[in-house]
Amino acid sequence: MQILINGILLGAIYALLGVGMSMMFGIVKLTNLAHGEFIIMGAFGSTILSSALGINPILTLVVTVPVMFLLGMVLQSVLINRVMLRGAEPALLVTFGLSIILKDAMLLLFTADAQKIGVSYATASLNLGGISISVLNLVVFAISLITILVLTLFLRKTYMGRAIRATSDDTVAASLMGVSVKKTYGVAMGIAMATAAIAGLCVGMRWTFYPSSGGEYLLIAFGVVVIGGMGSIPGTLVAGLVFGLAQVIGGANYGMFISYIVLLVMLAVRPQGLFSK
Amino acid sequence: MKTKTLEASAHKQVRVFGGLPMLITAVVIVALLVILPLTGVLSSNTQRYLLKIFLYCCLGSMWNLMSGYTGMTSLGQQSFIGIAGYSLAVMTFTYGASYWAGFAVGGVLGAALALGLSVLLFRMRGMYFAIATWVVAEALKTFFTSWTFVKQGAGMTIKAKPYPSTTEIYMIALVLCVVSLVVIYLLLRSKIGLGLTAMRDDADAASSVGVNIFQSKLLCFVICGFFTALAGGVFYLNKGSIYPSGGFGINWTVSIVFIVIIGGIGTMGGPILGAIIYTVLEEMLASYPGYSNIILGLIAILVILFLPDGILGTLQKKFHFEILSQKRFSKE
Repeated sequence: MQILINGILLGAIYALLGVGMSMMFGIVKLTNLAHGEFIIMGAFGSTILSSALGINPILTLVVTVPVMFLLGMVLQSVLINRVMLRGAEPALLVTFGLSIILKDAMLLLFTADAQKIGVSYATASLNLGGISISVLNLVVFAISLITILVLTLFLRKTYMGRAIRATSDDTVAASLMGVSVKKTYGVAMGIAMATAAIAGLCVGMRWTFYPSSGGEYLLIAFGVVVIGGMGSIPGTLVAGLVFGLAQVIGGANYGMFISYIVLLVMLAVRPQGLFSK
Repeated sequence: MKTKTLEASAHKQVRVFGGLPMLITAVVIVALLVILPLTGVLSSNTQRYLLKIFLYCCLGSMWNLMSGYTGMTSLGQQSFIGIAGYSLAVMTFTYGASYWAGFAVGGVLGAALALGLSVLLFRMRGMYFAIATWVVAEALKTFFTSWTFVKQGAGMTIKAKPYPSTTEIYMIALVLCVVSLVVIYLLLRSKIGLGLTAMRDDADAASSVGVNIFQSKLLCFVICGFFTALAGGVFYLNKGSIYPSGGFGINWTVSIVFIVIIGGIGTMGGPILGAIIYTVLEEMLASYPGYSNIILGLIAILVILFLPDGILGTLQKKFHFEILSQKRFSKE
């Protein structure tokens, strides 16, 4: 039971790591290898703001989310839309280039030291009938679920959300109906980066991180996307749980190894994911 | 009629540097590279540069064979390199064998790894394949970090008595580079090679005209695994020690991708040119630690944006020539 709870708490943050990547995959048809670095950028943003202003780390999202959203829109319209005309592989390699640039830029700016976002309730825990639940993990769990819920509502209920989904289903038809595909891609990238900002906050609160941690989180995000099926938000949630449980069951030494094996097997057996359309 | 004249004019425009003149040039260059270090004209520092160029050239050409000719973009070349580095360390340090035994075990394990992974990886295409290769490398990295037999994250040293001199490692690297280039050249000019190129451009069409996709891809992947592992082994012999984070690090693939993109993907000469440029840049940037990947990343993105065929590919298109072309032109 304890393992199940831990796995679920871990799974929600994994789902959050993957949700932005899943959007890029499903809507823009882009494999964004810089997503891990975006998450770490968000983590650094929140660390700096919360320590400089002395505010609750969660409040830093007011700044980091819009900034990352804008960055994403600019990046997509200035750079990525242009290379995507050349095909999927050049675009993949450009995001690869971006990821190594960002990683080293962060290394220069923030040094290689371990970082963590401190909160007052870091060590507090609740005791429910013999099961102990860390308050911090619970808060992170709540943030993750709320973000995913808001994103789902946005895609279902708003005009922009419907335009995004329409573009994802049929690019040509959507553009004939007056949806600007390039603009939609920009917004999708903006949203993906905004979720990366929130994921970064959660990562920073739960674990120590380094400028070079991006690759690790990218692979988790990718695993969640693959297991869940691209562009499927409920799939992302379930996949996060599968991944989280695999790791908790695997234990401290081989947990990540087991998760990677689960991912590889899933990739080989069912590359379209559990919840593909 | 019309297509025939078009074809004929295309033949005239492209000047192919091949055949006997190319063979003579290649032999002269290789002979010079063998003789110069023995006469002592090349300092051991210069030999170190050249040694790196040879190994990067081998690694780049192998990745190019996969990505540029077969359409399998791997981001996990470090799996083969790490396995080979560790084979070398385990054979020489744990079992006290010679480094030749280390290379042999590394090469065989590299080929075996490719063979084993093909079962899993060949079910995937495009970006799935790319990411899966990376996941394999990360899985190996976490495994080696926890495995007590290879001393976990503490790393291992490579032992050899007497430790080979720079000139000896230089010669091994040169032979490896030449052999791997010859193998790729012959492979691409063979029937299999033409099938591979057809497969990269349209897998379904190639398969429908009788190209055995699975076999051709497997052959390429195993050759790539074998030579990448050998190059990795020589790299670590030169380096002297190995750690999981370095051996299975994504930085290997960063360098390899850079080399091929800059030089020109899908050309024989591209990785050679790329390896030279990369090694020179790496040495120049060594005095600005921290900035090197930023500059390399920027150059790579600019090249993809403005010279999508790489430096050699763009030059070849502009001046209508081909070096080491795998195409077989009729003599008209």
